[in-house]
Amino acid sequence: MDDYLLSVLANIGMFSFLALSAYLLLLTGEISFGQQAFFAIGAYASGVATALWGLPFVLALVIGAVAGGAAAGIVGLLTLRTRGLYFAMATLAFAELVRLGLQQWIYVRAIGGEPVGPNGVDGFRGIRYVFEHSIAQREFLAIIAGLLALVLAAFAIAERGRLGSLLRLVGADPLLAETQGVNVKAVKVAAAAGAGAIAAVGGCLFAHLNTYIEPRNFDIMLGVHSLAYGLIGGLGTAFGPILGVLIDVGLLESVRVFQGYRMIVFGGLVALLLVFMPRGILDEVRVRWLAAPWRRRRGSMARHARA
Amino acid sequence: MRQLRRDASTSRGAKAPRFGRHDGSVWGKLARTSVGAGAMIQFLQSLVDGLMIGSAYALLALGFTLIFGVLRRLNLAYGSSILVGAFAGAAVFAQWKLGGWAVAAATLAAAVVAGIYVERLCFWAMRKGAAIASMVSSFAVWMQLEELLALLFPERTLSFPALVERSVFVLGPFQFRTEYVAMFALAALLMAGLEWTMRATRFGLAVRAVTEHPEAARAMGVPVARIAFWAFVVASAIGGAAAYLMAAAEEQVTLHSGMQLTFTGLVAMMIGGIGSLRGAVLGGLMLGVVETLAQAHLGGSGREFAAFGLLFLLLVLRPGGLLAQDFAARDAAALRRV
Amino acid sequence: MLEIADIVTAYGKIEALKGVSLKVEPGKITCLLGPNGAGKTTLMMTVAGILKPRRGSVRFEGRELASAAPRRIVESGIALVPENRLVFPNMTVAENLAAGAFTRSDSAGIAEDIARVYARFPRLQERSSQAAGTLSGGEQQMLAVARALMVRPKLLLMDEPSVGLAPLVVEEIFRIIRDLNRDGTTIFLVEQNAHMALQVAHYFYLLELGKVTFSGAPGQIAEDEVIQRAYLGSKK
Repeated sequence: MDDYLLSVLANIGMFSFLALSAYLLLLTGEISFGQQAFFAIGAYASGVATALWGLPFVLALVIGAVAGGAAAGIVGLLTLRTRGLYFAMATLAFAELVRLGLQQWIYVRAIGGEPVGPNGVDGFRGIRYVFEHSIAQREFLAIIAGLLALVLAAFAIAERGRLGSLLRLVGADPLLAETQGVNVKAVKVAAAAGAGAIAAVGGCLFAHLNTYIEPRNFDIMLGVHSLAYGLIGGLGTAFGPILGVLIDVGLLESVRVFQGYRMIVFGGLVALLLVFMPRGILDEVRVRWLAAPWRRRRGSMARHARA
Repeated sequence: MRQLRRDASTSRGAKAPRFGRHDGSVWGKLARTSVGAGAMIQFLQSLVDGLMIGSAYALLALGFTLIFGVLRRLNLAYGSSILVGAFAGAAVFAQWKLGGWAVAAATLAAAVVAGIYVERLCFWAMRKGAAIASMVSSFAVWMQLEELLALLFPERTLSFPALVERSVFVLGPFQFRTEYVAMFALAALLMAGLEWTMRATRFGLAVRAVTEHPEAARAMGVPVARIAFWAFVVASAIGGAAAYLMAAAEEQVTLHSGMQLTFTGLVAMMIGGIGSLRGAVLGGLMLGVVETLAQAHLGGSGREFAAFGLLFLLLVLRPGGLLAQDFAARDAAALRRV
Repeated sequence: MLEIADIVTAYGKIEALKGVSLKVEPGKITCLLGPNGAGKTTLMMTVAGILKPRRGSVRFEGRELASAAPRRIVESGIALVPENRLVFPNMTVAENLAAGAFTRSDSAGIAEDIARVYARFPRLQERSSQAAGTLSGGEQQMLAVARALMVRPKLLLMDEPSVGLAPLVVEEIFRIIRDLNRDGTTIFLVEQNAHMALQVAHYFYLLELGKVTFSGAPGQIAEDEVIQRAYLGSKK
């Protein structure tokens, strides 16, 4: 596998975390344009942990995830009363505030003779953990894939069990959920925190693979993209957002032919696709239809077992 | 940086303590923490400047609000579609060296054409789908248009003819830049025109009916889809005018403005309260003032910080915006259907 | 005047109307009764053109209107007074009336009709520059009726005009209904308040779970039995 393909796969992996983060919030009925804020928080927090504090990668990952999750939980609490479109705008505003804040944050120390650390607009250089520990690109890709697989597995288990339906119920009809005894507020805040943590993990990976991050990486474009991935790929399953990422990053980024016209093509494709499939490619109906043969088999197996 | 003209008379100094007595007010704090009357004058100057640029923001917010009121959907491609207009105007200026009216006409026409493209593809074609699908589609077209502009204009920045000759006139201790005064005057004229259209024409009546209750309007035989189309056209024209005024004041257009235009309009609309045209004007003016004050006291990035900070604070404390009307509940319901 | 034959209207997979047939005779007040969820409002909206039926026909004065746009239906002479009034809250009473006359272009005729409507509803004239949202429930109902009258309808569709109104106000509304009918307007009325409805109706239908289960003139059947079925559905 050549390096270019590896880097494309790595990008697909990392942006999938963002896409899943936005997707989780969409399940609970909230549109967020701001998940890139937690991606950024995870990136910066974990970068500081390894490059400035010399902590091991796994610990940095945890720190990043906790930082992202906590920040997201706080935002979730603050915006409990804010609904629908206003919530979307609030997340956007928050993400921009984070980005602007990072533009001002300077925390540089001399490590091994060189200045290392977040340096406001100039970004954060020297997140060299990967080099210092001789982790090859291929190995890092395996780490990305492994973590992504874990997150997807968690989603799959949740969607099969009660948790998935619970989240969707809160999203579709919170009033009904309340009458069923569900603490809608708690679910929303928990989902927000979880989504923030997921995005932060992606951010941590992003920071360590690129070794250099700057506030400009985490702008509104990134946020709206992450939302778009779920809406294009479909909201019926966690694989929907992944599909969305694959289509954008995988298909179009790598096909060099589209170099100057990528956005025109992609933009047009998305617009057209949404006309015919307003709920994305893998929407709930299609997913149920695709999964039907499996369910029938499980059903008949259960019947055999009972007999 | 502005040169302050210190008034020699002591009567100005005597005024400062009076403001200081309003303890809780912004004026009071400002008067006490800053030095003397000079700072008060600077504050008022910023206020005036903010109101002037705010008038252009108000136009942007009006365009957004018109579209949202009639369609209940956000048009994320708004900024870039009117930027297409501004670039068309700049191109006309560059190619044929034509001035004022031709450039303005080109700007408005191109903005309207781009707006129609967005309306047909992202809104009319998806009228049966969920609101968010339109939003994402408009985002996709936003990127389309930006890339198109980048391809057509690789220089990324073009010069734009000024509306009036750049100069400054002084009134008392305050300075007025003519290009901004012209902006304010024209924007005010447009806003008055829009208000008249809404109150006195059949079209305006239909727009308001559809905005208040699309079902009832449909029952009266109002052609909702056609009204939405024309509202979009009007909104694009207003936006084109805003883009023209801002480009003329800066005497240039840059590609990056696309995002700025969209979010300025969006933030201003949300501050004032979605769905209310009066709120849009208020929000635009307020945003202009807040941004200008923040820039004066906190520097460049302080401007953006203040804008988004204000928005976030407002959305947390008053989830519906300052003048939000009954729309809040209806909008939330409409956008829930993801 | 209005002939509805085998109308089937569905929301997605759920059929709200499962083949409804009824007739509205010109010059009379025809009433549609039935328990909640029977499909009464769905039928009204289908006739008004806001909902499109899957199957069936709606013939008005011989013309087929089943899938026509609301505008054409209004122009044919049918006007709807929607459930819950649906006045435009931030527009004045006068503006609401103007909105009602949207499909018309004869300003002289419109002015005449506004005067006529104000004569019939003097309270509305008093409040003509007030925002419609500030009116009382009864006044809003009058405004909704007045707004519908602005198209000089031959057939007036009224969807639950008594809902949410105090008993005295309800009586007034039904008085207005009787007056309108006496002045020549055919009325097709949907009502929950079976008692009041049976006092004005010349003929009524009972709609239960998307189908017409009974029809007749008041007096042909004991009122309490009708009321029972209207509120609670048939005894199974």
